[in-house]
Amino acid sequence: MNFFSTAAKKSPWLYRINAGSCNGCDVELATTACIPRYDVERLGCQYCGSPKHADIVLITGPLTARVKDRVLRVFDEIPDPKVTVAVGICPISGGVFRESYAIEGPIDRYLPVDVNVPGCPPRPQAIIEGIAMAIEIWAKRT
Amino acid sequence: MIKDTLWTLLAVVVFPGGLFAMALGLALKGVERRAIARLQRRVGPPLVQPFYDLVKLMRKRTLIPDTANRFVFLTVPLIGLAAMGVAAAMIPIPGFYQPSPLLGDLIVLFYLVSVPAVALMLAGSASGSPYGAIGFSREMAIVLAYEGPILLSLVAVALHAGAAMGQPIALNLSDIVNYQQQHGAFLFDPWLLPAFLTYLSFIPANLGIAPFDIPEAEAEVLEGPLVEYSGPPLGLLKLTSAIKSVVVIGLGVALFFPNGPDGIAGLVVFALKCVVMVLAGALLKAAVGRMRIDQAVLFYLKWPELLGVAGLVLVAARL
Repeated sequence: MNFFSTAAKKSPWLYRINAGSCNGCDVELATTACIPRYDVERLGCQYCGSPKHADIVLITGPLTARVKDRVLRVFDEIPDPKVTVAVGICPISGGVFRESYAIEGPIDRYLPVDVNVPGCPPRPQAIIEGIAMAIEIWAKRT
Repeated sequence: MIKDTLWTLLAVVVFPGGLFAMALGLALKGVERRAIARLQRRVGPPLVQPFYDLVKLMRKRTLIPDTANRFVFLTVPLIGLAAMGVAAAMIPIPGFYQPSPLLGDLIVLFYLVSVPAVALMLAGSASGSPYGAIGFSREMAIVLAYEGPILLSLVAVALHAGAAMGQPIALNLSDIVNYQQQHGAFLFDPWLLPAFLTYLSFIPANLGIAPFDIPEAEAEVLEGPLVEYSGPPLGLLKLTSAIKSVVVIGLGVALFFPNGPDGIAGLVVFALKCVVMVLAGALLKAAVGRMRIDQAVLFYLKWPELLGVAGLVLVAARL
């Protein structure tokens, strides 16, 4: 069984949820950190379109009231075991949207967050470091 | 009789179907991903990454959507995998392995090669997801477009080999391979060039290589038929597509260029031919974008179909 768990931890597939983000973190995440230039694939990661294929979920945005139910539903569609990474300052504290009437966050009121990557937006290198930390946690869970 | 049956079963389950084809297919996927990474000037995943992915998927939870037809949803990956296991056992490895005639001839193989596409269609329609339904309709359109040319190409080769061996038509793949090993490969026969080009054009559509990876487009329809799958069934579907690459490339090798040494060296040469084809596919995948489904269907109904007809006419004219 040990061999299988070491093999399984080398294949974390990524999925991205936008919980009402201003799109700044999404640009840094999807179109910068996940493109070929930065090569997260060498960590074994693969970016997948369906939540049902995912292992590590990256959440951006402050969790607006409109999007809360959808985010929770999509989060439930990710099969266990899974690891959550909150990207940007918004999911952690609300960022510039803090104490707005439209915000339901911080996100860890509703979801278990394993790794925080603060920044507005964080640098792609920081996001990749967050993914690497999430892989450590994923290795313990799988 | 019992001994024959047991050997055939062994061929389907262990070598060259089943376990061997799985290992080779996953290794080829690893080579492909690595090659694409190098073409994009990055390091890329380790060569054994597809094995890691498969083990990971086997350990995940399976989710079944409420809207899905549970029975079809869960059995379809097994049907595709079983068909590919049998098909892989029917591919001769020149100089190393000859399939048993009990398994069937070229016609059976042709139908088995299209089973995974049917399985994928069923998977998409049984998953009860709109993305799955779009993937289903795209898969069906492209299968209808490429099935004609590939059949023309197979018939051209079978007629040519049959005429050369004094039969009306040669449907036994081992005979075709043996003939080429004695008289030179069909790849270098100018009369069969259109048939060869038709077969080449069929490979990217069947294996989901850009620009024809339309049914499983990640960016548009979230991998289409696979969208609702998770855990072990998803792993089986990925495994099926890995074996399919061995079967389709192996069939091409058997039909057009089976020449090589005997014994273990023959196996190595066969694997090297597969790697060369996969590298060519990786170059194509890294170089071009994705066509729309109507463009792809029109392309297949125009050029490969035309080439296929030309190839068949060329061969028939010499009979």
